[in-house]
Amino acid sequence: MSTRSWALSEDLSVGVTVFVLVFVGLSLTLLMLELGRRERFGLWIVGSGVVASLALGLAALRPVRVAERGTWVGPKVVVLVDQSRRLGLPSDDGTPRKALAERSLAELRTRYQKARLSALGFGDSTLVPLGDGPPPARRASESDLARALAEIAETPGERPRAVVVVSDGRLSRPASTSDDEALSRVVGELGVPIHSVRLAERAPADASIRAVRVAGAAVAHQPFSLTIEVGCDGGLSCGDIPVAVREHRQGVEPAVLASGIARIEDGSATLELRITLERAGARVVEVSIDAPDGDKVPENDRRFITFSVARERVRLLHVAGRPTYDVRTLRQWLKSDESVDLVAFFILRANSDDTMTDDDSELALIPFPVEELFTEHLPSFDAIVLQDIDAVVYKLDRHLPALARYVEGGGGLIMVGGPSSFAGGNYAGTALERVLPVELSEKLEPADAAEFTPRYTEAGRAAPVLGGVFELLGEELPSMTGSNTLGKPRGASLVLMEHPSRKADNAPMPVLALGESGDGRSIAFGVDGSYRLAWSELAASVSGRAFGALWDGLLGWLMRDPRFEVVRAEVVGACITGEETTLRLTRLPAARGDVDVVVERLGKGTAPALVKKVAEPAPGPLDVSFVGFDPGGYVARVRVGQSPPARLDFACEKGGEAYRDSRPDAPRLERISAVTAGRSVVAGREGDLPLPDATRVAAERHVSPLLPAWAWTLAAAMFLGAHWLFRRRGGLA
Amino acid sequence: MISRRQALAALAALASVAPRRAGAFGDAGAFHARTVSSGGARIDAERSTAPARWAYELVRRTSAPGRLASSSVSFDQPAFAAEPFAVWAGSSDPTPLSGPERRGLERFLKMGGVLVVDDLEPDGRAFGKGARRELRRVLPDAAPVKLDASHVVFKSYYIVDRPVGRVEGPAEIEAIVRGKYAQVIFLEHDLLGALARSRGGGWALEVTPGGVAQREQAVRLAVNLAMYVLCSDYKDDQVHAPWLMRRRARRRP
Repeated sequence: MSTRSWALSEDLSVGVTVFVLVFVGLSLTLLMLELGRRERFGLWIVGSGVVASLALGLAALRPVRVAERGTWVGPKVVVLVDQSRRLGLPSDDGTPRKALAERSLAELRTRYQKARLSALGFGDSTLVPLGDGPPPARRASESDLARALAEIAETPGERPRAVVVVSDGRLSRPASTSDDEALSRVVGELGVPIHSVRLAERAPADASIRAVRVAGAAVAHQPFSLTIEVGCDGGLSCGDIPVAVREHRQGVEPAVLASGIARIEDGSATLELRITLERAGARVVEVSIDAPDGDKVPENDRRFITFSVARERVRLLHVAGRPTYDVRTLRQWLKSDESVDLVAFFILRANSDDTMTDDDSELALIPFPVEELFTEHLPSFDAIVLQDIDAVVYKLDRHLPALARYVEGGGGLIMVGGPSSFAGGNYAGTALERVLPVELSEKLEPADAAEFTPRYTEAGRAAPVLGGVFELLGEELPSMTGSNTLGKPRGASLVLMEHPSRKADNAPMPVLALGESGDGRSIAFGVDGSYRLAWSELAASVSGRAFGALWDGLLGWLMRDPRFEVVRAEVVGACITGEETTLRLTRLPAARGDVDVVVERLGKGTAPALVKKVAEPAPGPLDVSFVGFDPGGYVARVRVGQSPPARLDFACEKGGEAYRDSRPDAPRLERISAVTAGRSVVAGREGDLPLPDATRVAAERHVSPLLPAWAWTLAAAMFLGAHWLFRRRGGLA
Repeated sequence: MISRRQALAALAALASVAPRRAGAFGDAGAFHARTVSSGGARIDAERSTAPARWAYELVRRTSAPGRLASSSVSFDQPAFAAEPFAVWAGSSDPTPLSGPERRGLERFLKMGGVLVVDDLEPDGRAFGKGARRELRRVLPDAAPVKLDASHVVFKSYYIVDRPVGRVEGPAEIEAIVRGKYAQVIFLEHDLLGALARSRGGGWALEVTPGGVAQREQAVRLAVNLAMYVLCSDYKDDQVHAPWLMRRRARRRP
């Protein structure tokens, strides 16, 4: 198809064109004013002036002739298909919404076959092109239409003539609370009609946990409120719905933290439950409801939430069987650390001591509150240091099972050596032994008083736990005056220091070992001379700072301080059942060796662990992917080379955040279409959507001047000359 | 002057009656009342038995281990920084400390050590004054202050109402307090004199004016000082407060 037209010279800017037009206009205005004052030759002057002005303007603008050849093409139409996991929920007839969305897209391809159609998936990140094949395996948590429209608006090139949104309407943006003006601002930026295809209009019969909100940060030992919003819709008969909050820990059944009743009114209820998380770090909490019969979406009856629990101060219990320089030095270091809330109990008088008085009021002694400490207050401590205290003599033995459960539930334990520690303190064969990182023997001598100098193991040199000591003293360590008899390391425990001559099962005997048991961590330190890192000739060379460096590392590792972890792990995105879950591992620059990742389910089950090994990976972040996680809490342990393992607790859900509200929001789609002059239809009626006008595309364009530039200039000069003559004849200068 | 053989015999006799209880491995972490020889400090033969008696009384009365064989050390020896406690006792004005001695003492105190300065002739106070003078050179910004009656030294094991030694001395104790801790404790009571043993196994020196009761109070003060060294301010912990307040209230007439 060919067309002809004319235009002004294309080498002029808009500014020049405007200037010329204004100049010509002013000239004509002045001529009119002159006409009013002159009697002779007035018409001639004005006539020649008008012609001269126009000729001058044309000489400057130089009109051109334009001849075009082009074609009409189909309009550009963008179809935005909701990629939220929520589309896995049923539509009005029970068909999954995502199946309807696929069907709808196919219908739109047919409807707009004359258009240039782009099908894009929108969710919580950038737009994803959708081909004719199956949709992407990884779905989005949200449906952010505002973001999708903004991305289209920012894309250079031809804008679409229309947008079609295929969704159930439960969009994260624009918000459901936006009025028409706000809605128009958000979705009207493109300036094209937005049509919509509604995948569902009626809510399924479903009771769900719509939201779990926390005011502020979760802090260990401090109660905080969970605001739980429970919804019930789709004709389900809801009255009082029981709600429970449980914490998932490794190796034990979930602990109930709180429970309550949600009384449903007008389809929803909000309940506030106060819970206390005793352990810092990532903690997995399950919030569940007991949904009434007929619930069609059981997946959203429970939510698994990973809380990042902060710690204001480390609440630490220090129990010592007798005061020694080792006890003194540790106490003073702990007291000097403002981040430690220390509760200490030292046995100052044994039964055999003669205090030389019959009157206890002359003594500043209090009874050792063993019952109170190890029953009522035990969960309130982040870590416990047992230093040289006999379990039987001081009646700790009856509390050792509880202490073991405390460790398995996430507590920290350090047993420090001395004559009454480990086997010498009657801990061998007890429940507590099973949570220690080393085995103990009742048959062997419990201790050896021979002086020795401990040495680092390979793991000890690599471990950030001992990095501070190593930095201050290098390979050198002060001599110790004796050692407890420790057995071989238990399970995956790690030995950081060993005895140079004593053996445990034909291997060097551990002196310092770290281990994990259930959710907790424990440390065995089989000497009572660590004070020599503060008080010795070697210690004095670094002003006694090595002691603080050692205990900073030990306590920090016990409390999962990231400074002492060789590797940091995080879940990329969310862990969703049925989708691939990626753990991103960031290693310390010095961390070398194979990377072993073991993922186990929290709780008391016996589900097999998922294991992956990456041999000598290159430096930099490392992604390790897994599939096959059921809903629940999980713990990932990551070990790099010989270093102590780092740990990450995380939660997996079916549907996750996207399933929290199963109700479609068809009115929102209708409003979006209305404010943009679009049309909204239910799925299956895609044929009712209007087809935009075709777009013309130029294929060939010829531009030629009406007259050459010199001709315009000559004509302008001649008419100006004639005008000048008439002005002279009329008596004007 | 006591002979070396006599001293060893006395020590052996002491050890034979000492409680046989496991302490720290090899007693390295046990309370050890080292005496300081710097500044020309001299301890007579009787009082040289006092550190062992101090440890003995500690072991007999408390769960704390004590080292029955004591040693002497000077401020400038590297070994001075190997333990957190020492006693600097004397009866005459100490000679000025040398540069290495001052540096050794300063390092010891900066590392958190505790030094008891015991004036063995409290009437003249020559040693006490001289020791304060030398400590001013080491810690020019730290002046001694009187310890309150509620200070943990008076309740670290026994509830002690006032300090006494071989002589009754002043009713208060002065100390250089650094941070939260009394690090240099000045006694003008001849505490070592109250603990000194004779060759025959009895007390070597009479205590005045209180006799047996005063000696018992002096021993209790020594035990409290040892417990303060081993436990620092343990008895100031909040958990002990209500108990100790009740005890003190009960003891008041």
